[in-house]
Amino acid sequence: MPNTAMKKKVLLMGKSGSGKTSMRSIIFANYIARDTRRLGATIDVEHSHVRFLGNLVLNLWDCGGQDTFMENYFTSQRDNIFRNVEVLIYVFDVESRELEKDMHYYQSCLEAILQNSPDAKIFCLVHKMDLVQEDQRDLIFKEREEDLRRLSRPLECACFRTSIWDETLYKAWSSIVYQLIPNVQQLEMNLRNFAQIIEADEVLLFERATFLVISHYQCREQRDVHRFEKISNIIKQFKLSCSKLAASFQSMEVRNSNFAAFIDIFTSNTYVMVVMSDPSIPSAATLINIRNARKHFEKLERVDGPKHSLLMR
Amino acid sequence: MANVNKESRHLLISEVDHEINPGPLNIQFDSPDLRSKRPFYIEPTNIVNVNNAIQRVSDHASAMNKRIHYYSRLTAPADKALIAPDHVVPGPEECYVYSPLGSAYKLESYTEGYGKNSSLVTIFMIWNTMMGTSILSIPWGIKQAGFTTGMCVITLMGLLTLYCCYRVVKSRTMISSLDTTTWEFPDVCRYYFGSFGQWSSLLFSLVSLIGAMIVYWVLMSNFLFNTGEFIFNFIHHINDTDSVLSTNDSNPVICPSAKSGGHPDNSSMIIFYANDTGVQQFEKWWNKSKTVPFYLIGLLLPLLNFKSPSFFSKFNILGTISVLFLIFLVTLKAVHLGLHLEFHWFTPTEFFVPEIRFQFPQLTGVLTLAYFIHNCIITLLKNNKNQENNVRDLSVAYMLVTLTYLYIGVLVFASFPSPPLSKDCIEQNFLDNFPSSDILSFVARIFLLFQMMTVYPLLGYLARVQLLGHVFGDIYPSIFHVLVLNLIIVGAGVSMACFYPNIGGIIRYSGAACGLAFVFIYPSLIYIISLYQEERLTWPKLIFHIFIIILGLANLIVQFFM
Repeated sequence: MPNTAMKKKVLLMGKSGSGKTSMRSIIFANYIARDTRRLGATIDVEHSHVRFLGNLVLNLWDCGGQDTFMENYFTSQRDNIFRNVEVLIYVFDVESRELEKDMHYYQSCLEAILQNSPDAKIFCLVHKMDLVQEDQRDLIFKEREEDLRRLSRPLECACFRTSIWDETLYKAWSSIVYQLIPNVQQLEMNLRNFAQIIEADEVLLFERATFLVISHYQCREQRDVHRFEKISNIIKQFKLSCSKLAASFQSMEVRNSNFAAFIDIFTSNTYVMVVMSDPSIPSAATLINIRNARKHFEKLERVDGPKHSLLMR
Repeated sequence: MANVNKESRHLLISEVDHEINPGPLNIQFDSPDLRSKRPFYIEPTNIVNVNNAIQRVSDHASAMNKRIHYYSRLTAPADKALIAPDHVVPGPEECYVYSPLGSAYKLESYTEGYGKNSSLVTIFMIWNTMMGTSILSIPWGIKQAGFTTGMCVITLMGLLTLYCCYRVVKSRTMISSLDTTTWEFPDVCRYYFGSFGQWSSLLFSLVSLIGAMIVYWVLMSNFLFNTGEFIFNFIHHINDTDSVLSTNDSNPVICPSAKSGGHPDNSSMIIFYANDTGVQQFEKWWNKSKTVPFYLIGLLLPLLNFKSPSFFSKFNILGTISVLFLIFLVTLKAVHLGLHLEFHWFTPTEFFVPEIRFQFPQLTGVLTLAYFIHNCIITLLKNNKNQENNVRDLSVAYMLVTLTYLYIGVLVFASFPSPPLSKDCIEQNFLDNFPSSDILSFVARIFLLFQMMTVYPLLGYLARVQLLGHVFGDIYPSIFHVLVLNLIIVGAGVSMACFYPNIGGIIRYSGAACGLAFVFIYPSLIYIISLYQEERLTWPKLIFHIFIIILGLANLIVQFFM
């Protein structure tokens, strides 16, 4: 019997200084209140209330740092840390000079996963790729991917190359979230139907906490390939401003002579964005459509509810 | 003395920067860190210069814009973790002002400089920093070199040090692989020569600082002595110039070293007609070389122990006033005394010196310190509003400094009353040629005394920061360390004041020594190395710069033979 009350974890691990705290801050729009470099190792245990996709809790761990205190604590808490893990995201610094050591720590994490949460999904991020010269990036990433795949056997890992200074970070995390949703194909089909019914140009489904695009439908080619990340950044920034006033963001309508866009809460874990290029359609109509669709999609989520702890209300 | 205010200028600039609190996301704050205010987005009201060609901004760039905008909201402004690194942000020539409607304006003038000082202010600051107490030794230097030679040497040294200064300013631009916006010249030396460069530039910087402090002590003892004597004589109505060789005048010029031909401070040789035991007592307790230097200890040693000398930097204006007053004094005296010039080319006469003398290296030694600003010129020029005018402003400043030195040197030398007195009488501190009863020089001495008393703790602070900071890592390890250092410096000053109070000598030795590194060797060597690395080194350039290095070495070596 699945214990749905217990929180499932997303482990974000990697060597100290590999960029995890910055990554978390950027994806989850957390304000970093300190200089991450100065304080060294991150000890991030139960205080992380960052949740996403329903009841997943994000835990950050420094793995393989120089600090022996951290190492001891880590080793003694191993079983605790690796129990109930849904997802392991391991971050590698592409500039690291100690490849052997990094791989060694990664393998020991995998062993712990095998012991405690063998069903966990594993993702490897080769991070800080902006520091590598552009013409060498593909080569280096392929090399690392092969090594990691080889080392991870019998477990399967998916590898991404990321950098906070381009769209690769957002894309990688979106892919991760996409793979975590159980009925994503069905979701996409329903989304397409919805879009066609309301005659929208584009409909996006965002994860609620991070505004990562879970799925989208577009009826024709759009010019800007970076639009998802841009919207996500804009809204997260707006959310930060709202939170300074102790207000929370719920919905937004943007309209001009060329288009109308609606961003609204959809299900308990998602936001929807609807873009209509026909401005003659009144807002009220679109909002009613969204409201009705909401009920339908909530039912979709609940159907798969008891089997998967994801997307649980 | 070149480093009267230049070190304190350096100090002032970095202090002022720490006090400014940068506001977030505002392009107009004066942060020393240029990267944190990269203009990837600019409020429309801040657009200064707008091109008429409106271009659309690329999707990639606008995505980057949003990214940077968002990241900057995630951290405190001082946190560097999420500031866009150089290789990610487009170069300055590609930066556009992005308006939300998607059109982009390219800024006409975007330069690295962010300073707000107009050219005039920059020129004045450079002039002010270079003008120091070495101005008092210039007439003596001209006398040592001969009048014609002296004028030529002053001009040529000005040009040579200007070129080396230009090399210092350009040395940063040759380094393309690192971000050098916050670097000063010692950092450049460290980049090229490793820790040897760091330690040697520290050593030479300390030589110039401690040399300056010793000269200050000697001069302060001198001025304090003369001031005290003036006050005492004024109260007791004593006229004491009869015993010393002087002109017959209401405002005489004296020749203190006439009798013994070499010892500059013989105030103890003043003989009074009146057999006044009170005066003799005063003379015993108030002696230029035996007692006054020690009285200063009680005054200045406590000031040296302060942690932060920012209180003293408020008195910076006294330096400018002193120099201006000196110019005024010299002009007045020259008008009063008239010109006394005779041209004898190679042979000395009873009253005049030859035009060309072989002791001119003494003048070059003094001038090396008089034109010295190389260790802080980068910082001074950083605040120039129009960076492209840096070279022009620097040249203008050097020209003004040369003119000032020439003016004072030539006027004092030319107006020195030669028929009764010989030109050889010109003292290493030309104020010594006026008796302590002279009102104008009394005022000048008081100004200079106060000014030096406020700059002395600043120099001590700089020496302490550099030495203790590099050796112990902490600029104030404990009161004990600081006290020991201060005692050593003060002790050096006192002993020089007692046994070798020739400021001309001290200036030329320390000037030639520290100038060797910062003026002659390092800029030229760095230029040669960077050209060699870029494979642009040609034989003429190599020979010319090696010649400069040889000149610097010769300058130092020859000082010991004069």
